[in-house]
Amino acid sequence: MSPFRARARAEIEAGPPAATLSPILRKLVADSRDQLTTASPSDARARAQAARSYAVDHLDELQEQLRESCARQDIGYHRAATAEEAVALVTQLLGDARRVAKSKSMVAEEVGLTHALRVRGKEVLETDIGEYIVDIEGRGPSHITAPALHLNRARIRDLLAGAGADVPDDDPVRLSRAVRDVVAEFFGEVDAGITGANAVVANSGRIVIVENEGNVSLGVSRPRLHIAITGMEKVVADEEAALAVLQVLAPSATAQPLTAYTHFLGAPEDGKERHLVVVDNGRSEILADERYRDVLRCIRCGACMNACPVYTAAGGLSYGSPYMGPIGAVVSPLLWRDGRHADLPSASSLCGRCTEVCPVGIPLHRMLLDLRAGEAENGGSRVEKAAWKSWAAAFAGRQGRAASWLARLGLRAGGRLPGLPVGGARPIPAASPSRDPAMLVPLDSIELELAPEPEPLAEDVVAAFRERASVVGAVVADEAEPEEGDRRVRATAAVASTGGVLLTGEAAARGALMDARRIVVDVEEASVVRFPQELGPALAGDGDALILTGASRTADIEKRIVRGIHGPEALVVVVGSGTTGT
Amino acid sequence: MARVALFVPCYMAALRPDDGGHARRVLERLGDEVQTIVGPCCGQPAFNSGYRSEAKSVGRALLRAARGHETIVIPSGSCASMVKHYLPGLWAGPRGASIERMSECFVEFGAYVAAHPNVAALPLRLSGAVTYHDSCHGRRELGLTEGAVGLLEQVEGLDVRRLAYEDECCGFGGTFTVKEPEVSVAMARAKLEDVASRGVRVLVSGDLSCLAHLEATARATDQSLETWTLAELLDRALA
Repeated sequence: MSPFRARARAEIEAGPPAATLSPILRKLVADSRDQLTTASPSDARARAQAARSYAVDHLDELQEQLRESCARQDIGYHRAATAEEAVALVTQLLGDARRVAKSKSMVAEEVGLTHALRVRGKEVLETDIGEYIVDIEGRGPSHITAPALHLNRARIRDLLAGAGADVPDDDPVRLSRAVRDVVAEFFGEVDAGITGANAVVANSGRIVIVENEGNVSLGVSRPRLHIAITGMEKVVADEEAALAVLQVLAPSATAQPLTAYTHFLGAPEDGKERHLVVVDNGRSEILADERYRDVLRCIRCGACMNACPVYTAAGGLSYGSPYMGPIGAVVSPLLWRDGRHADLPSASSLCGRCTEVCPVGIPLHRMLLDLRAGEAENGGSRVEKAAWKSWAAAFAGRQGRAASWLARLGLRAGGRLPGLPVGGARPIPAASPSRDPAMLVPLDSIELELAPEPEPLAEDVVAAFRERASVVGAVVADEAEPEEGDRRVRATAAVASTGGVLLTGEAAARGALMDARRIVVDVEEASVVRFPQELGPALAGDGDALILTGASRTADIEKRIVRGIHGPEALVVVVGSGTTGT
Repeated sequence: MARVALFVPCYMAALRPDDGGHARRVLERLGDEVQTIVGPCCGQPAFNSGYRSEAKSVGRALLRAARGHETIVIPSGSCASMVKHYLPGLWAGPRGASIERMSECFVEFGAYVAAHPNVAALPLRLSGAVTYHDSCHGRRELGLTEGAVGLLEQVEGLDVRRLAYEDECCGFGGTFTVKEPEVSVAMARAKLEDVASRGVRVLVSGDLSCLAHLEATARATDQSLETWTLAELLDRALA
């Protein structure tokens, strides 16, 4: 039995993962589709694919450019060839920093960073709510963007209570805030922040990070030292390319238009340090292989696992890898060449839904076929090889009429299953099934629930911006009376399709924003663009920038949205023409 | 009158040969002259398992059997997709190109019927309610859904209730069901819940492989269900 099968069987026996996952993921897939069809430009996926393809095809060149840009920005640029080198580099960069606030990073999971740093005596806190929860549980994340997706609220409450939190019930708001409080307290005295990166921009050196909770905002602003760790494929040519990626990332991942915070981090503030650790760890080998290089386009949105029926049935932990679902089944055996994940390409029915939803056009199910062929050539069980040879001999004759033992075998093998009546094989359907006319009579007349048609984006960009900004949780006003604890800033631009505002330069200073009781943003009507892809000119240069899209939030517990995590709970957007605001 | 070959795939010949007969009768009612090719395999089971040279030798036998026919109708989206999208790639150079051209002669049964010039004149009548399931290959690689549903909707008296999650895989996946039976059956059960929620007990699909998997799972869990191929439904609607 393959390791995947053994784990999946245990998970299904313990209580089917689908009971928790299926309703959540079905809704997410439908919402993502709506988000990409009604609130995005029609060519959003093509643009994202083009941006990522270009990056993969010019990887060395862009990394060289990135190195120069980082030097200009005073961001330390470091390359790590292996997981061990990455850990050693980060350890060295941390120096005597002791308390480390870590936010979500798949590469950090891949190289085992948190564990390695703890072994070296660092006090590392997972500051993302979902990561914090799975860190307590100790089995690792089950989804790349929603790490605690496998846990229901009751289980999360037990875990948090076990860790000493005061959680009298399992209300997701209370649970999320209990973690928030622990994290906020840790940030009171912190030496370093470690983050991932969703993209790094070659021509400006900006590090792009998306987040909802505000823990990244704190992690990159409170401590003296910020280290971003990322896979070498995450580089993109310019801001246009980064925007093309962002435009599909959150819609595909969480069905949001953009995350609450989208950071474009430039030079560190005076007296602070920023470093970028670029990890290879097997990616060069993937890049050199025509069959798989396009998998490096991946933006780690998780859409493929959201849509995957195998992932839904087996749960993310069954994959036994930090990368699960279809993308995990492809990259895990390519990143770990020691055969530990050689069975994962078989953990797919090849239905192709992953390929269909991938926003950057990775032909995932075809890569799974190639990986299986590679495994059959180089590894594979002797028994299976012999079976296929005899099968081929039976069918390859002029009159290939051998009995279809494969289909029969399949149905028999499916017999001894948990939850099915004991007694062996599932019955093989009859060759001449009898038909009962009564079966055609419907049991009842059901009212089919029609999903509401998603609202199209209003033609007028200012009207659309007002509407979308309030949908994502901002308060839209024509005026705002000053209140104590306000941080009032002027937006460089605003985006109609997402309801977000772009802050640049001093306005983007995260320290002041996170300390405020309320953020008030003045938006000029003339600065509103329709889609994120039009923000390029407003992002000219290489300074700090931040796109705020609603107030901070989390959906790490059963995908229930809880607003107001770190930073101010209220975001007020004052829309005006001419000279509004201060 | 068109002359066509009807290719009855290996698993249909073994599991439910009657479905080959249903397909044949429907083609004949359309006015075609039908010759059958019974029992070869397209090579997909080995191909999907990574055993490409075995798939190639088996696929070669099918191509040999199909040689000389201008139109080869396959009552299976999965096999049709294998022949059209994957088989030619197993040969390199000009041989691959000529097999690619030959693969264009293969057409899935529902797509063939839906596009047939005589289809509108078929007197299709059957009263009752059914739901419809696509094979994933038929849906995603051949785009068969609307053609098949259109045929069902052409049947007078038939209440066609679409599944709520019709683009989800049933969990068969060929050798997948052998290698990962627990996950495969969990997927089938999700599909069967969707079927039951439509209030129907007859499930129609262009692919017998999905149906056999779902029927076996339904019986093991005591769900009352009949599974009909699209060919069977059309044939019965013509009777």
